[in-house]
Amino acid sequence: MNTLGEISLLVAFVASGYAAFACLAGRGPGRRAIGQSGLAAGLVSVAALSVVTGVLAYALLVKDFRFQYVAHYSSELLPWYYSLSAFWVGQAGSLLLWAWLLALLALVLRFGSREEAGGLEQPAFGLLMAYLCFLAAVLVFAADPMESNLALAPRGDGLSPLLQHPAMLIHPPIVFLGYAGWAIPFVLAISALAAGRLDGAWVRSARRWAFFSWAVLGIGILLGAVWAYEELGWGGYWGWDPVENGSLMPWLSGTALVHCLMGWHYRGVLKKTVCVLAIVTFGLCNFATFLTRSGIFSSLHAFSQSPIGWMFLGWMVVLAACGVALVAVRRSRLRPDRPMTSLVSREAAVLISSLALLLLVAVTFLGTVSVPLSNLVLGRKIVVGAAFYNDVLIPIALVLLAATAAAPLLRWGLPPTVQQRRALGISVLAGVAAAAIALARGVRHPLGLAVAGLAAAAVAALAAALVLDAQQDPSAAFGWKLLRLLRANRRRYAGFLVHMGFVCLVVGVAGSSLGTRRQELIMREGETVSWAGRSIHYAGLIQRELPDKSTLEARLEVSEGGQPAYILLPGQYLYRPQFESATMVAIHSTWAGDFYTILHGRRGQDRVSLTLVENPLMRWLWTGGIVAAAGAVWGLWPARRPSRGTPPVPRPKGAALRRRTNTIRVRGKP
Amino acid sequence: VITIPKKLLLAGLLVAGVTVYMAYLGASASWQYYLSVDECLDRRPTLAGSRIRVSGTVTPKTLQVDPDRTRASFQLQGAQGGLGVTCRCSLPDNLAENMPVVVEGRLDEAGRLQGNKLLTRCASKYEAQLPGHAPRTAARPVENGR
Repeated sequence: MNTLGEISLLVAFVASGYAAFACLAGRGPGRRAIGQSGLAAGLVSVAALSVVTGVLAYALLVKDFRFQYVAHYSSELLPWYYSLSAFWVGQAGSLLLWAWLLALLALVLRFGSREEAGGLEQPAFGLLMAYLCFLAAVLVFAADPMESNLALAPRGDGLSPLLQHPAMLIHPPIVFLGYAGWAIPFVLAISALAAGRLDGAWVRSARRWAFFSWAVLGIGILLGAVWAYEELGWGGYWGWDPVENGSLMPWLSGTALVHCLMGWHYRGVLKKTVCVLAIVTFGLCNFATFLTRSGIFSSLHAFSQSPIGWMFLGWMVVLAACGVALVAVRRSRLRPDRPMTSLVSREAAVLISSLALLLLVAVTFLGTVSVPLSNLVLGRKIVVGAAFYNDVLIPIALVLLAATAAAPLLRWGLPPTVQQRRALGISVLAGVAAAAIALARGVRHPLGLAVAGLAAAAVAALAAALVLDAQQDPSAAFGWKLLRLLRANRRRYAGFLVHMGFVCLVVGVAGSSLGTRRQELIMREGETVSWAGRSIHYAGLIQRELPDKSTLEARLEVSEGGQPAYILLPGQYLYRPQFESATMVAIHSTWAGDFYTILHGRRGQDRVSLTLVENPLMRWLWTGGIVAAAGAVWGLWPARRPSRGTPPVPRPKGAALRRRTNTIRVRGKP
Repeated sequence: VITIPKKLLLAGLLVAGVTVYMAYLGASASWQYYLSVDECLDRRPTLAGSRIRVSGTVTPKTLQVDPDRTRASFQLQGAQGGLGVTCRCSLPDNLAENMPVVVEGRLDEAGRLQGNKLLTRCASKYEAQLPGHAPRTAARPVENGR
């Protein structure tokens, strides 16, 4: 098995290198055969990587400890699903997963993409193969997942208990899929710039890929937050750790890219910004890998003193330099098609919110590299705390929320219509009313009031835009019209849903950040305390001995309004064979907030040490993520192809104008 | 007359200005020196009362954790010497001897680091054990709670 894996890895390395060369060199008249051979080599490379992936996955499933990787990250007692999840726990496995996902996406781009990339599929495939060759080289020379285990390890070292959580089963692969996905807009942009084919045909394909990668990386980040919230046992979900920042930065710049791509698509503007953002976003994905593997950043997450991080940094610098040079060379062809004619237009909102996002990226980047940067500039290593990021996040989140509130009632290139202006006014009134209600219900923090007002304005604007859209079709009942609209303008309303999710998420973040309360206390068995409007009775400890762990749980009987409401069992588990303890928090979640309990341990014979946390509006945060993800899936869902024999629908007159002003398509009307 | 690009530039400058100002406020309220144990020992007289973040390795056989896991004391090992640490905070589950950790806090009058935050390396073990490196062992509670 090891030998099969090693040979396949070498084949993948060599074949991807040849595929890159042949696909890039095989363009133009008389070179078709070279291009075809490159494509074949690419297929061989993907197949070989799939074999390596299959070998490692099988070895983990059957716990074949002859593989050093399996012996290091799995154990006899580990359930099969956590053993399989060890695939992406270690350095070699996670890099293999990234390479394999990239290979699969390269195949989808080359063969499965329904959007035409303007004939750029071959060079884009070649560039992806070049990147795959780099990853395969790292696997062959620096992080071999197929390495044999020479030491005797009959039971395996086992997986850290902290990683034995459902979110960890899918969080890392989803993040890696997001990183791999951002390679596609990047290679499409580079191919378009290199070939000088900047007519925007590639933008159609890039938009879809960027939206896909944005959604996938966002889901991955959110799953990481769920894991941190439930598993790390400190009551929070985001710590501004360098590794967390590493995944957040490409997502933020990717958010700007998704919106700027719309500007190019609908108005022919923001072209240079689109190209630079595609380069920056993929560069930041590589930077995230550098963060985890260079060993120079202080992080809650892993560090390793290996050369792999520096290889990624070097690769990132080369990619960024080539990309920026190409943008500079093509700058005359990247001028906007038309000047901006209104400040109250969608492209202006996109521009301001993209600037806000990029400022947040810049600040996050500076905070993340503050230690090496201050050492270089000041000769002293200085690190900044969470307040640095939080203070910046506040104005930026408000700008983004305001842009989200206004966007559905703005048009591309033109000022709002009279109806849209009226709807904007109603949305503002709804925002003011919501802020007043929040004030009356006890919210005193100015930021909380601002978020309440802007969130309500955003929801009202989305609803008003939907109503205005439906009014364009006077032919049917409102409900029927709405259904037809949702079907005919799927991407637009998917965007609405994503924005709705973002609004929910911001409400959750604001609530949990501004209103959180903590109480540390020691409780005696049988004691009852009142805290945050509830009565908590500690009924005793439950101790159990299981094959792989010892568990200790405190039984907390919670009453609300004088009535028994629910029971929470926060615990401490001691895992074998690692002899490592794990905190198991217990959470009662409602729309108003989470009651989060942590058991630290026993103190004396009949007392326990606990922390109680009140996190308001947490469910809104997770729901926002789910709603945004649902919007992304809806937007990305393949449209039905017209059946064979159906004559093509002629493009109505004024279609170009309609597209540029983003007017709604109504079935049966031109 | 202010043209649209100029208005946009002004709006951008306003957003950028507010962001930079908030970043400055946040940085001045939260910055701290990041030091190795040896740097901390060398500069100990000048660091009294300052917020610091010190990285080092938990020295074997020095780690003591209260049964309720709200307090830990240990010796933080550097290349040249060791620094006594007492942490009063929620302790990471994977805190163990021989583990690289980062402690945030202040030096007290006796030169001991009084920590209020303790970070350990991630559970996702990206780095391989070095040959001959002592294995990591979990902290034994001072008072056996279970």
